Amino acid sequence: MDRLQVGAFFQDMRERLGLELANSPKGLSRFIIQKNLHRPGLALAGFLDLFAYDRVQVLGNTEIQFLRSLIPEALAKSLERVLAFDIPCLVLSAVGAFPPELPEIAEAHSICVFTSKLSTTELSQILSNYLDDKFAPSLVVHGSLVDVYGTGLLFTGRSGIGKSEIALDLIERGHRLVSDDVVMLIKKTEGVLIGTGSEMLKHFMEIRGVGIIDVRQMFGVRAIRLQKRVETEVELVDWDEKQDYERLGLEDQYKSYLGVQIPYIRLPIYPGKNITVIAETIALNLHLKVYGFHPARDFNRALMETILDKSKVRSYLEKDYE
Amino acid sequence: MVTTVVAQEVTLKNKLGLHARPAAHLVRLAAQYKSNVVLVKDDTRIDAKSIMGVMMLAAEKGATLTIECQGEDEEELLAKLVQLVEDKFYEE
Repeated sequence: MDRLQVGAFFQDMRERLGLELANSPKGLSRFIIQKNLHRPGLALAGFLDLFAYDRVQVLGNTEIQFLRSLIPEALAKSLERVLAFDIPCLVLSAVGAFPPELPEIAEAHSICVFTSKLSTTELSQILSNYLDDKFAPSLVVHGSLVDVYGTGLLFTGRSGIGKSEIALDLIERGHRLVSDDVVMLIKKTEGVLIGTGSEMLKHFMEIRGVGIIDVRQMFGVRAIRLQKRVETEVELVDWDEKQDYERLGLEDQYKSYLGVQIPYIRLPIYPGKNITVIAETIALNLHLKVYGFHPARDFNRALMETILDKSKVRSYLEKDYE
Repeated sequence: MVTTVVAQEVTLKNKLGLHARPAAHLVRLAAQYKSNVVLVKDDTRIDAKSIMGVMMLAAEKGATLTIECQGEDEEELLAKLVQLVEDKFYEE
């Protein structure tokens, strides 16, 4: 998301932060354009260089006590100076008594002032998490996301190749659907990609020849989950004799979404091939790798030892002229 | 590899917007062609050959969509899709 309307923010966080609007709703149409918070203490004291005015301004006990210590003229001057900036909104934390001039002057500049009873630390933390989520980079991809043995497998491939059918088969076997057809990828923190479905499509899926089905109604709440870390992409491709497919798995392939690298597997399919079991195998294999076992490499190590032993025996016997 | 993209902006004119039936019409038409088709609404881009994707947009009457076609039969497909929207998906 590029920007968040203050009104939407108020609606989302009203209950959680116990927010109350201290002046008119005129400022609800403003936009928050970034995820960081700012404590405008220095700006209120008159130092306006580098004032990060485009952030949500959090006024804690310190700022309020400072404002209360000012004589009326100085207070008005300080507030006028700060609120002349294009500020998205003000949030007063740990709210006690605050100067009535604050919401009044803010109102004159169409800036909303919210109050909350939470402590500044607590409020900042919750608010930060919320804004991080809202402003996290996201991307919509065409595919199905299924939690297979706790591993998030993202199936991609051309339309009609059978992503939904594989997802359905996996659900049948007790795995859990996150989203079919349209998956929203969100980069939560560095290196972590979270996949979720859209609000609209929640656990509905289209099966060619049948139509739209509701997985939750059909298979129950055990068959679904709302979001899952995307841990591997499995791209389904039509089998092509001329193409070269992975035979060993010695080198891991990766693909990048929003700057996050995830393991990537290209899986050729043809009629009669049991992709579901292969999908389970992929998931379990990933588990093994996470726990430090790499089957292809372990096997190759054993193979190389055997070859080495054999060549030792051979060279020993070759020198044996008895 | 074809790299050009033809695109056109359309405004939905049918009363009920892009609900299930119009979405199915659109997807069925797109699926008959080889080109890739992307529908863009606000910041969301979806594959127009995916019915769930098209319905996810929940596009209402008056909404503006951009249709982007890419592939060997892109021109013809784009024209057909625009026509379908203009014809209000044969609904009214």
